[in-house]
Amino acid sequence: MRTAATPSSKTSWGRRILIAIPYAWLLVLFLAPFALVAGISLSTVRLGMPPFEPLTAWDGSILNLRLNFENFLYVLTDDTYLLAYLTSLKIAAISTAAMLFIAYPLAYGIASCSPSSRSLLVFLVIVPFWSSMLIRVYSWMSILRNDGLLNALLLKIGLIGEPLRILNTETAIYIGIVYTYLPFMVLPIYSNLSSADRTLIEAARDLGCARISAFWRVTFPLSLPGVLAGCALVFIPVVGEFVIPDLLGGADTQMIGRAIWLEFFNNRDWPMAAAVTIVLLALLVVPIVYFQSRQAHTRT
Amino acid sequence: MQSYISIENLAKSYGVVTAVNNINLGIEKGEFFSLLGPSGCGKSTLLRMIAGFETPTTGAIKLEGADVTDVPAHKRPTNMMFQSYALFPHLTVGRNIAFGLQQDGLDKGEIKKRIGEVAEKLQLTALLDRKPAQLSGGQRQRVALARALVKRPKVLLLDEPLGALDKNLRTETQLELVRLQRELGLTFIIVTHDQHEAMTVSTRIAIMKQGQVLQVGTPSEVYETPQSRYVAKFLGETNVFAGGRADRSGGELQIESDEAGGPVRAAFTERVPLDRPFWVSVRPERVELATSGGGLEGTVEQLSYTGVERHYRVRLKSGATLDARRVNLGAESDLAVGDRVFASWSPQASRLLAE
Repeated sequence: MRTAATPSSKTSWGRRILIAIPYAWLLVLFLAPFALVAGISLSTVRLGMPPFEPLTAWDGSILNLRLNFENFLYVLTDDTYLLAYLTSLKIAAISTAAMLFIAYPLAYGIASCSPSSRSLLVFLVIVPFWSSMLIRVYSWMSILRNDGLLNALLLKIGLIGEPLRILNTETAIYIGIVYTYLPFMVLPIYSNLSSADRTLIEAARDLGCARISAFWRVTFPLSLPGVLAGCALVFIPVVGEFVIPDLLGGADTQMIGRAIWLEFFNNRDWPMAAAVTIVLLALLVVPIVYFQSRQAHTRT
Repeated sequence: MQSYISIENLAKSYGVVTAVNNINLGIEKGEFFSLLGPSGCGKSTLLRMIAGFETPTTGAIKLEGADVTDVPAHKRPTNMMFQSYALFPHLTVGRNIAFGLQQDGLDKGEIKKRIGEVAEKLQLTALLDRKPAQLSGGQRQRVALARALVKRPKVLLLDEPLGALDKNLRTETQLELVRLQRELGLTFIIVTHDQHEAMTVSTRIAIMKQGQVLQVGTPSEVYETPQSRYVAKFLGETNVFAGGRADRSGGELQIESDEAGGPVRAAFTERVPLDRPFWVSVRPERVELATSGGGLEGTVEQLSYTGVERHYRVRLKSGATLDARRVNLGAESDLAVGDRVFASWSPQASRLLAE
């Protein structure tokens, strides 16, 4: 009897190497930098290069380990940071919801097209990636300015009497985020809907559903994995987004990505910046873990 | 008289392709009716038009005299059992079965009662909390059947319902379907490409080819008196010879056939005009082989043993082949490959075919 449990030693070495590659990747590019950041977050700021005290020091024959939790206490009790975290989560939540409302009908529409026009439409969704994100955000600046394209258009058709102030407001941040991240919401939903089994819709209609109730009772619940993947793909990076709020937002909207940047480059307080980062990571790990377990659950 | 379901001049084209070409059919209440044909013959399209998934290009479908041609699928009193079963993967077996009843707005008690009944009838009671992915093929097939039957449709449509089952389970399920259909007194229309299945379950069979119905009849009618070479060959195996000059004496015909290499006897029928090309068909199990005597002379070319029967392929003197079968009654075959044999059959075993 052939069994897969006892492969020859040669193939098992090949398998081990193959499995080791992604682990090595994660170790070098994720876990090691994470350990560095975690270490810095527990050290004390100082003048010089690097701008923090080492965690360990030799005192004669004794190795001293000094962990400074002050930064964490400060981050977790200071109103500015708390507000920045909340603002980031709020903006991420609202823009994720807005993207879902735009992306779902868009993905549904593309998935209902003939296969030949589908690939063209998917291509159009991806096309913006061909130019740099920075350039696209800068163009939004010129569109949203007081004397920008949008205001010029609205003034010309007489919808408004004087220019709207959109740039450097929270509205501009939402516009920028929704515009930039929309494809990440569209693609997983589209991929789910386009592979859906159409006979299930026929079965629902056969059992008495009009098209709309067939959608809500069959298509939508079955597309939830795609929806969840899309939400995770946009929510997580948006929470830590720095470029868009910095370029399009105003001084009164403090997002956590910007706070980290300020601590790091303006205040040169690496331990504080690292502590803010670690707390942000902890905030994000919760929804990721939830999403993963949810995925694992739906598969069984 | 108006049939329970009547299909009138029904046609369906997709662009230049004609899937169903001017079909007229009457199906009576309580029938187990088969649409039988090879893939691409339009049988599934016809079924889907009855279900309401396809709109006919021309023609009408009437149910109990009422025209339902333009009634959308979700308002028709028909339910379909899909070839792939199309069970909702996100719902448990119980919720799959409840789906159509909830849509009809039945109250919870009634839904529960009906699910209990149908689950018991189809031995699904223990499986109601499982998801479709946790079921075997046979169990899924029963859930699909339960989901359609629980709606108490006037007509149950079955699209190749047993195609995914292995052979033993399929035979078992065919008998089960017949039992259910009799018990419930419902009208079943089944689409299949398996002639054996159609013969086993049906009260009547429509044999289809290229979008048209060639012949409709009970299993024995279509098997015993096929009206064309196509039907004769599609339903089981047969030997067909082109007929030549025919002499009639009383109720019997003596037909010259170059293809058979000798005269063939057949019973006279008004149905087939003998002044136009015609063919004679005889089923292998009606052919008798003997080492001496009269009949068509030939040599045994192949012999195969299937357990139930012995199959002989005889090369006739004319060059044509003739298949014969003998039921295995325990004796060894007295014929071997290379033996000279004479094939004959009774005049009643010959069928005259006009096309």
